[in-house]
Amino acid sequence: MLTRIKSGEIVDPVNGRLGKGDLWIRDGEIVETPRSGRADRTFDASGCVVMAGAIDIHSHIGGGNVNTARLLLPEEHKAHQARPAATPLSNAGWSTFETGCLYAKMGFTTVVEPAMSPNAALHTHLELADIPIIDKATLAILGNDDFLLSMIRDNASPRMIEDYVAWTVASTRALGVKVINAGAAAAFKENVRTFSLDDVVPSYGVSSRKIVKTLQAAVDRLGIPHPLHVHCNNLGAPGSADTAAATIAAAEGVPLHLAHLQFYGYGTEGKRKFSSAAARLAELVNASPEVTIDIGQVMFGQTVTISSDVMRQFSARGTAHPKKFVIHDGDGNGGGIVPYRYRPDYYGTVQWAAGLELFLLITDPWRVFFTTDHPNGAPFTVYPKLFEFLMNRDARNEVASTLSKSALAHSTLASIDREYTMEEIAIMTRAAPAKLLGLADRGHLGAGAVADVSVYRKGKDIAKMLGRAALVFKNGDLVVKDGEITHYRWGRALRLNPPPDRAIVKRLRDYHEHRYGLSLDRFTFPDSAIQRDEPFREVPCRA
Amino acid sequence: MTVAWIGNRETLLERAVRHAAALLHASRCPVFTFDTDIHGTRAAIALAERVGASYDHADGAGLARETALLTDKGGMFVAPGEVRRRADLIAIVGELPEAHREFVAELAETVPDLIAINARQFFLVGGGGRGLTLGNGRKATRLSCGKAGLGGTIAALRAQCAGRQVSTPVSNFSRFQAALATARFPVFLFFGQSADGLALEMLQGLLADINRKSRASALHLPASEGGWGSTLASTWMTGFPLRTSFARGFPEFDPWRFDVARQLAAGEADFHLWISDGVKKPSANSGDTKVVVLAKTSQPVAGAEVTFAIGKAGVDHDAVVYSARTGTLNSVTADAASELPSAASILRSIAEHIPAGAELPC
Ligand SMILES: [Zn+2]
Repeated sequence: MLTRIKSGEIVDPVNGRLGKGDLWIRDGEIVETPRSGRADRTFDASGCVVMAGAIDIHSHIGGGNVNTARLLLPEEHKAHQARPAATPLSNAGWSTFETGCLYAKMGFTTVVEPAMSPNAALHTHLELADIPIIDKATLAILGNDDFLLSMIRDNASPRMIEDYVAWTVASTRALGVKVINAGAAAAFKENVRTFSLDDVVPSYGVSSRKIVKTLQAAVDRLGIPHPLHVHCNNLGAPGSADTAAATIAAAEGVPLHLAHLQFYGYGTEGKRKFSSAAARLAELVNASPEVTIDIGQVMFGQTVTISSDVMRQFSARGTAHPKKFVIHDGDGNGGGIVPYRYRPDYYGTVQWAAGLELFLLITDPWRVFFTTDHPNGAPFTVYPKLFEFLMNRDARNEVASTLSKSALAHSTLASIDREYTMEEIAIMTRAAPAKLLGLADRGHLGAGAVADVSVYRKGKDIAKMLGRAALVFKNGDLVVKDGEITHYRWGRALRLNPPPDRAIVKRLRDYHEHRYGLSLDRFTFPDSAIQRDEPFREVPCRA
Repeated sequence: MTVAWIGNRETLLERAVRHAAALLHASRCPVFTFDTDIHGTRAAIALAERVGASYDHADGAGLARETALLTDKGGMFVAPGEVRRRADLIAIVGELPEAHREFVAELAETVPDLIAINARQFFLVGGGGRGLTLGNGRKATRLSCGKAGLGGTIAALRAQCAGRQVSTPVSNFSRFQAALATARFPVFLFFGQSADGLALEMLQGLLADINRKSRASALHLPASEGGWGSTLASTWMTGFPLRTSFARGFPEFDPWRFDVARQLAAGEADFHLWISDGVKKPSANSGDTKVVVLAKTSQPVAGAEVTFAIGKAGVDHDAVVYSARTGTLNSVTADAASELPSAASILRSIAEHIPAGAELPC
């Protein structure tokens, strides 16, 4: 089937297409204008912006910790709407089905779950497979697991460590590797309560820095397209900007991605010894071309923090609102669930401003990524409002005028005039994520790309415009019309598949049998366990 | 091979599916009870959504207590692999269910390898009148408190650990106190069929106290592995655990109202769909309730309008199940693959015969 999206304002920075024109789709793929010029169906996009489907690189949408959070907070996500005929379960608050629908309505077509515990990979993929419409991907967590820490302690060869990383990525069907407060979860099991970049995990004698550097090198040498995804130490702490700065410096020319940098954008100025240090971090990011970051913007309201940084969540348990939490000592990282309400008080203002400063002061839209660390800074449903803050300084200044003056006194936000252009938005939420993740088939509108296309009706109200897409196509299939889902389709989980090394598999078999009394087979699974057609799609590693 | 019966008469699968769908479609207040794997659960919930049913597990009571701990309080938990490798003090909270004896025996036969102390001590908190002999002849030290129930015993234990006076001290407390003082990673094993809500809450209180200065956690060994798997699948599909209903067109969770056994006993339900590939059979048909059964059976189930013979997940067909031993969902290959249909396939067929405007979500 040949589809023509007619007379839209095309924003495709990758292919240098900016301006009015037509976009053609044949079945699931974007194509050049066909010679015949005759379409089977035509959609009039005049007065609309046409972009590739958006990609979210860091959003906690499924897996053990997310599900535990649902279980902990039934009162927070009650459904009220009656049953939608075309899309069963999409009215169920915080269900996988609702998640896919809400993302698609905003024109997002690919979302990365960034914290998959390797042992719970099957659980994670089963949840992701029940998220309709969008494609998904996961990052496998390493860096607090005994197997890796022991190898580093015992001076295992880089090759052996690479084999282990490759096996983990392949067997868990991940698209990359994440390290979360490297070493801290292991140290917490031994009753350590704070942990920084040069602290050492007891029993292993291995520093957090050493773990990060080891994994960074392994990911790079394996040709995994996405750089090591780092959740730094000291998240949320006053003065954590020092930790982030030290981690940026530790990149040392090799690609490194720092997650939710906002949560480290804090200095110790002011009466409360808590202030925005975002300007300093933005400057460091600007000067470090090998470093990419996502923001983890805070927005005010009730949310729940879901993190595999179990040490941090344990220390935050006293802030739980409502007063309940889960702390889990897992095989590697484990995690913690702490519900939280961001209030527009002094502390909330510092966090809100720090995130916006990072967005606006980091100059290269190819290296800064649009996230709220859903749901940690805010649920992803705030995205339309956040786009408005970035694209309209009056909108953010108006909110700032209602917030804590003393908090803003330590922030540069009021002095920033920058407004993101639509082209910069297209880079930050489409082109750059595809490049960062190694997904050549999306993030742009060139011939041969997957026909993931979002069409937004232009209007003064940016939040309204970007919150409810006029049309969304997923693989050429029209799934959203006038901001409403038309029907379900089933996306895939994008994954790498580096070939396993025989020797490391044997070592892992022995390790699981001796240490856990379990066969390694308990932790692996065939694709058929997902019970959907083609649940995965392979993405190549760099040659 | 016969896999379907209407009443006592053998029939074609297709006819039985149509008949079951018609009964379900005509019912006013359908309820489901299941004991099946993840994919059976997903199919059952998709069907429940389509017909407005409420659903629960065959071992609903124990699971409901475990679920309530999470929905009401949360707590501190640990993965079973970490328990084997790290726990130097194991406290069994309440009577040890048969299903979890094997893991406790394994813990008794192994020692932790991730901490410096390569030994484990065992305690039994409460646990009725009987003591507990571990796999290798070792005994767990009893911690009991006169006639106090399990919750009262843990409360006394907590008070004594905090240095407070109690009217009836816990037996062997000084041994426990000494063990706790040197333990690197104490773990309390708990089970919803042995501990009520108060006991589970008290246990988490004790853990909160210990974790102020040192480490400790709790291992959840569920009342039913299949049931806990179903709880997880229900939670991601609907936002809510078991005992959820679609009667009003959207999922509502209410552990009292949608306790399916209660709904049946109270005569609220006019249709009961029973799905179990295990040994459990539905309780006697009460009054006018129509019963449709999916079970591993070679003959029709007495009193059922329709009976379907299904295979056992992980035996007759591949399955995904929750494992208490790994603490997560595992894929299981059929070890005696057969032609018997899976619960999921029958449930999907029934759902496809219920008029609706859309494809099934799973
Ligand atoms: Zn995150």
